[in-house]
Amino acid sequence: MSFVYILIGTVAFAIVAPIVGCLLAGLDRIISARMQGRVGPPLLQPYYDVRKLMEKDDVTVSGVDGVYMTCALVFTAFAGGIFFSGGNLLMSAFIITMASLFFIMAAYSSRSPYAELGAGRETLQVMSYEPMVLLMAVCFYMAAGSFNVADAFLLDKPVITIIWPAFLGFLFILTIKLRKSPFDIAMSHHAHQELVKGTTTEMSGKTLAKVEVMHWCETVLFLGWTGMFFLWMNPVSFVIAVVVALAAWFFEIWVDNNFARVKWQAMLKSAWLVALVAGGFNIIFLMFV
Amino acid sequence: MSLIGFLILFPLAVAAVLLFVRADWPRAIIVGGSAVVIAVASIVLAVQNIGTAYAPIPFASHFVDYIGTAISIAIAAVIIAFSVKYKNRWALILAVVQVIGSLVFEFGFAHLAPVAEGLYIDSLSIVMALIIGIIGSGICVYALGYMRDFQEHEPEDATDRRHVFFAIMFLFLSAMYVIVFSNNMVWMFTGWEITTVCSFLLIGYTRTDEAINNAFRQIIMNLAGGIGFLVALYVCAIAMGTLSFQEFLFKGLMRPDIASIAVCALAFAGLTKAAQMPFHTWLLGAMVAPTPTSALLHSSTMVKAGVFLLIKLAPLFLVCTFPSLMVILVGGLTFMLCSFMAISQTNAKRVLAYSTIANLGLITACAGVGTPEAVWAAILLVIFHAAAKSLLFLCVGTAEHHIGSRDIEDMDLLFERMPRLARFMMLGIMCMFIAPFGMLIAKWATLVSFVDTQQVVLILLLAFGSAATFMFWAKWLGKLSGIAGNPDNVELTVHPSEWISLVLMACIAVVACIALPIMSHYLVEPYLTGVFGQLGQDIAIDNLWISSILAVFVLVVLFGGVNASKKKRVGVYLAGVSVDSDTRTYRNSLSGESVATSRNLYLDAIFGESRIKFAGEIVCAAIIVCAFVASGVFPMAL
Repeated sequence: MSFVYILIGTVAFAIVAPIVGCLLAGLDRIISARMQGRVGPPLLQPYYDVRKLMEKDDVTVSGVDGVYMTCALVFTAFAGGIFFSGGNLLMSAFIITMASLFFIMAAYSSRSPYAELGAGRETLQVMSYEPMVLLMAVCFYMAAGSFNVADAFLLDKPVITIIWPAFLGFLFILTIKLRKSPFDIAMSHHAHQELVKGTTTEMSGKTLAKVEVMHWCETVLFLGWTGMFFLWMNPVSFVIAVVVALAAWFFEIWVDNNFARVKWQAMLKSAWLVALVAGGFNIIFLMFV
Repeated sequence: MSLIGFLILFPLAVAAVLLFVRADWPRAIIVGGSAVVIAVASIVLAVQNIGTAYAPIPFASHFVDYIGTAISIAIAAVIIAFSVKYKNRWALILAVVQVIGSLVFEFGFAHLAPVAEGLYIDSLSIVMALIIGIIGSGICVYALGYMRDFQEHEPEDATDRRHVFFAIMFLFLSAMYVIVFSNNMVWMFTGWEITTVCSFLLIGYTRTDEAINNAFRQIIMNLAGGIGFLVALYVCAIAMGTLSFQEFLFKGLMRPDIASIAVCALAFAGLTKAAQMPFHTWLLGAMVAPTPTSALLHSSTMVKAGVFLLIKLAPLFLVCTFPSLMVILVGGLTFMLCSFMAISQTNAKRVLAYSTIANLGLITACAGVGTPEAVWAAILLVIFHAAAKSLLFLCVGTAEHHIGSRDIEDMDLLFERMPRLARFMMLGIMCMFIAPFGMLIAKWATLVSFVDTQQVVLILLLAFGSAATFMFWAKWLGKLSGIAGNPDNVELTVHPSEWISLVLMACIAVVACIALPIMSHYLVEPYLTGVFGQLGQDIAIDNLWISSILAVFVLVVLFGGVNASKKKRVGVYLAGVSVDSDTRTYRNSLSGESVATSRNLYLDAIFGESRIKFAGEIVCAAIIVCAFVASGVFPMAL
């Protein structure tokens, strides 16, 4: 039965998430502009950008990057579908990693020096955040008694009350996942990248549009993960979860605008240290205290 | 019963015949034909006995006992002859100790505990038989074409010893069947020692200095493990009064205080054979051998014998604290550290070797945890690892012969003409580490069982190790990802037998991934009910089916979608005027020509062998020593 839910969820996510994600991306640009003392583009600017990309000529270096990006999109939709239909958190995390892998393969496939460098850094990013994601899922499992997100609605109190260290650790790697400075080393939305455009150097037209849409969907999914910490039996918790997710998102934009990009060594070491301390101690606490 | 006898004796007979066949054609027919026979016999055995929890087979024979003794002496003679010839003192000493130990045991103590039911069959041995029979014999077929190329690459005056090579391969299969079907621990030990000496001969096949050195490293480590096995036999016969593995398990559950030291010694033997730290260097050294050897050692035989023994011991790990801790910690540390070290390797075979050791570490850790869930995960890891790793080794072997390099950095331009091979390699890599393929599902079950048994350290080791796993596979996959788009397949020189095996391995990997829920139900669960009397809470069946569907999707894309692009092709961006975008050449600011090159990240400063290896070996060795001391001194502590 849950299988049907997941399929319905996937379709729903594939329709709703791009819309929400697009609006968030537009808001992101306006808020960032205001932080920098500019007016910023219209709210729907990301949509206009993608629409324009869709109209461009189909040119490619490798011939396969478009296919890989389609895979990445499909897996993102599945990861979102699994999560928002109340399915298995760990499964959702694994599938979204699969999407990242296809994105990395799309970048590598051009064999352009810039894209390869970006792809290499993207794998480093995945390696940096992966332990914390796994430990966060484990913490959720131990706190909620199940990996199923839907089971959060059966709890007396939200999981955040006992796994707040894991939540803080997750907030840290959320910056990497949302490709925000100081950890946007593989590809940046800002123009001042030393890598030209990193992973997306050789992508254009529809393929690049897929990258944008995937990024919107990812944002929605990760904010969903953020909100999940605050769910419990009370229906009000859903509102709280949305508010917290938006607050976390605002926080990430603030971080993005206030921190200079770091080198990968700093990213890897800090992210693993956070995972070890926040995740490790939280698990020990849950098991033995 | 007769089928088991056939599976043990038939490869033996084939090996004997092959020893005298030196011509290519007759050999191809014999190897191909008997590979099919062995595979079919294994499948028939599996079908006849599907769902068998445990079925003892009454069989005892002094004749077989004496043959076992004769084999032990023969093995010792071979090792002693080689160690005298190449002046290796340690191998000599260990071989002498072992042969004296086993002779004393055979004539002094074995009669204390006669075993009535010498053979058995259960679902785990069926799984192993399928792996040995299908994947193992598939590798033998692959070796036909590979070894012909190999011989051509050798110097003119090199002696052709391929007949010995093939004979040993089949002997190996026979010995593996002995291990998985013997309930009599002495017979199992004999099989165990045959595999040790077979790998010794296979690794040293080329007789170069490097090969000989690495072969001796292998034999020294595994003889040490064999002596551990022998110690366990003494303890079983004297203190526990049984040499039947099944009875040993029962008595061990009753009296863990006595069994503790035997379990520790057996686990030690398992750890050496499964190439866990600090013994992992023998498997790395085994790479010098021709690729079919590596494929055989890594996927279906040798190391799998090690983890097989550890999985069999799982119920005892639940009651014997110290051996359990030893296996858990050594396995977990090996998983993480070898995954780290794999990041820093550019040599494809070395990456594969480290990944094998890491996965064996995970299987070992699961066996050490010993709960039904953990054992479920361990068995599935064995299956998926065997399928995916054999595919990868065969791909790398073929690639090596055609691009002349094992270096991953070379697998782009030179590889361009082999898109089909590249796709097989990509499939193998994906099967190894990523959702929705089976390996990841097994890892997931591992994680759940670690959480449920409160193994904090293991959870952390798994989390960080898995992240490293992503890194080293993804960057290799990335190197290959561009090639798949080339429409033309021009790998004309690949031997047909190599293609047959490659396709076979790919099919097994795919079927295993898609049929995971079915396999779990018919092959793995009966074993768990037989041993534990219950099933663990496994992953919900829905999730398994989702994985199946997504796996099919990836396969369709990989083999159907990637080459269908009709888009306009353009050159790459090089931040300058491109002269030739295929070779990444551009005009630089001095109007000269520059070539843009890039390399993958190997992060040697963080994950280099020099930083990790020594520390890992010391820590793991210390853990093993402590476990032995603790099992000997405080056997009652639980």
